[in-house]
Amino acid sequence: MRRSRRSTRIATAGLLLGIAILFAFPLYYLVVTSLKTKAELFAAVPSLVPQALNLAPYSSVLFGRGFTGLLVNSVIVGLSATVLAVLVAFAICYPITRLPASRRLRGFVLNWAMSLRFLPPIAVVIPYFAIIRTIGLYNELPALILVYTIFNLPLAIWMLRGFLDEIPLELEQAALVDGASRWQAFRSVLLPLSRTAILAVVIIVFAFDWAEFLFAFILTATPQAQTFPVGVQGLVTQFEIIWNDMAAGGVIAIIIPLTLMLIARRHVMTGLTFGVIREK
Amino acid sequence: MTVGARVAMRTGWSRRTRQERLVYKLLLPVFGTVFVLATIPFVMAVIEALTAGSRGFVGFDNFATALSNPLLFESIKQTALYAAIALPVEILGGLGVALLVHRVVRSAALRAAIYVLAMIPIVIPQIAVGVVFRLVYQPDYGILNVLLGRTGADQLLWLSSPPLAMIATASVDIWQWTPFVYLVLFAGLQTVPSESVEAAQVDGASSWMQFRHIELPYLRPLLLLVLFFRLADVVRVFDHVYVLTGGGPGTTTQYLSLYIYRIGFQFSDLSQASALAVVVMAAMTIFYTIISRFLPADRG
Repeated sequence: MRRSRRSTRIATAGLLLGIAILFAFPLYYLVVTSLKTKAELFAAVPSLVPQALNLAPYSSVLFGRGFTGLLVNSVIVGLSATVLAVLVAFAICYPITRLPASRRLRGFVLNWAMSLRFLPPIAVVIPYFAIIRTIGLYNELPALILVYTIFNLPLAIWMLRGFLDEIPLELEQAALVDGASRWQAFRSVLLPLSRTAILAVVIIVFAFDWAEFLFAFILTATPQAQTFPVGVQGLVTQFEIIWNDMAAGGVIAIIIPLTLMLIARRHVMTGLTFGVIREK
Repeated sequence: MTVGARVAMRTGWSRRTRQERLVYKLLLPVFGTVFVLATIPFVMAVIEALTAGSRGFVGFDNFATALSNPLLFESIKQTALYAAIALPVEILGGLGVALLVHRVVRSAALRAAIYVLAMIPIVIPQIAVGVVFRLVYQPDYGILNVLLGRTGADQLLWLSSPPLAMIATASVDIWQWTPFVYLVLFAGLQTVPSESVEAAQVDGASSWMQFRHIELPYLRPLLLLVLFFRLADVVRVFDHVYVLTGGGPGTTTQYLSLYIYRIGFQFSDLSQASALAVVVMAAMTIFYTIISRFLPADRG
């Protein structure tokens, strides 16, 4: 009895390990490919282990193909849209979590935000494309900043609302009783207490902005305003596919959100499930 | 009744306390602006869908054109097939792994390592996921065909033969989202009170009974949440398919988002695409209204 239980445990552990390897392998192969030289690419049988630490594909993507400009665009759009979304989300969440807002109003705001999350980007981008061309913002970064801000608001609102709900109201009320103004209570009590929460929301919203493709693909046309994922897509769908450059582009696209998510790992699930799952 | 109280009774606005008025004063400017900015596209799409360039107002012509295109129904069918392949595997696979890890893996460090590993596919850009799987499925260079070649089997055209292309694109979805299902359900399993589990074990409940009668009730709302999110996401599927197959071969992987993209930006028929956008936005809003009451999040 005891022995058979032990062997089942070993079998399940083996199964889990197998699944993990299967899941990790494609990513491993991406990294290996990104380090290959031209000669290795044309080997009859692609190697599964890196032969040398060849960084040429990275410099080719960043400098040879001028993707540094796209990286800069991604960072500008990501940072601006993130700051805007978090400021707006805070302005919306403050009254519905810290002040006596009616249940109906609160429910309306939160439901409206969540319903935005259910609209497919392609349906939304068609009318935005027309609007943005009309107002002359086509192929301009501000257009992307505007659209990213609006469509990451649901995430920012739901995450912030969850965090703010966990900060006891009594703390600000005590300050108010002591004669502080609402602004002072906000500045000196709520803001310091929600610093971690704001940081988590900033990181996760930025990672989502960074990964966005469809809006950028449709609302831009030249490297002047294109973002990094649009450039990576171009590497793939070109006639002549240069595998190592393409893989290097993929690695660069992955590294930034991955690093951010590792930093904010305790809050990723909260973000992805709109606050339904709370990590402790 | 004092004069002040009588005055306060007069209108709804002044009947509210100062604090309640502050709610509206703070909320309205920001929320109003955002609400308008997010609603404009819907209004513009309706206007665009009811007009046709120089011909001006054309009534429901664009809707008629859009909804009578057999390719639309083809794309809906393909999207449904994609979902029928991907979602059961994601949900059952995620559930299975969550139960396995919950029962077998005891070490906190190992659990944390699995958490991080499972998070990776979810947080990386969809475009990069497309790149990753191009390297797996590409006929001449892809690692899958290389491995098949080594075993002596025939190489397969993963991305350019109809049934395989659909399976290949769906497999990417499975790779990316099974970990999400796992993470949500694993978190749910941690909320099951250990007393009930211990009591059941003392009573000699089998592993299956423990799942069926104790754990499943805790997981049910999360399973619904995952199902709704994944269903909504299938309609959004675009990036990785665009990179892998571009919707081909033929229309095999031309799922709904790719179809609308094609109408709007490859055939440049923005009127018809707007009609489609209106129908899809309306359908998703109705879908959301129906499911929102089942979502486990507290609504107010």
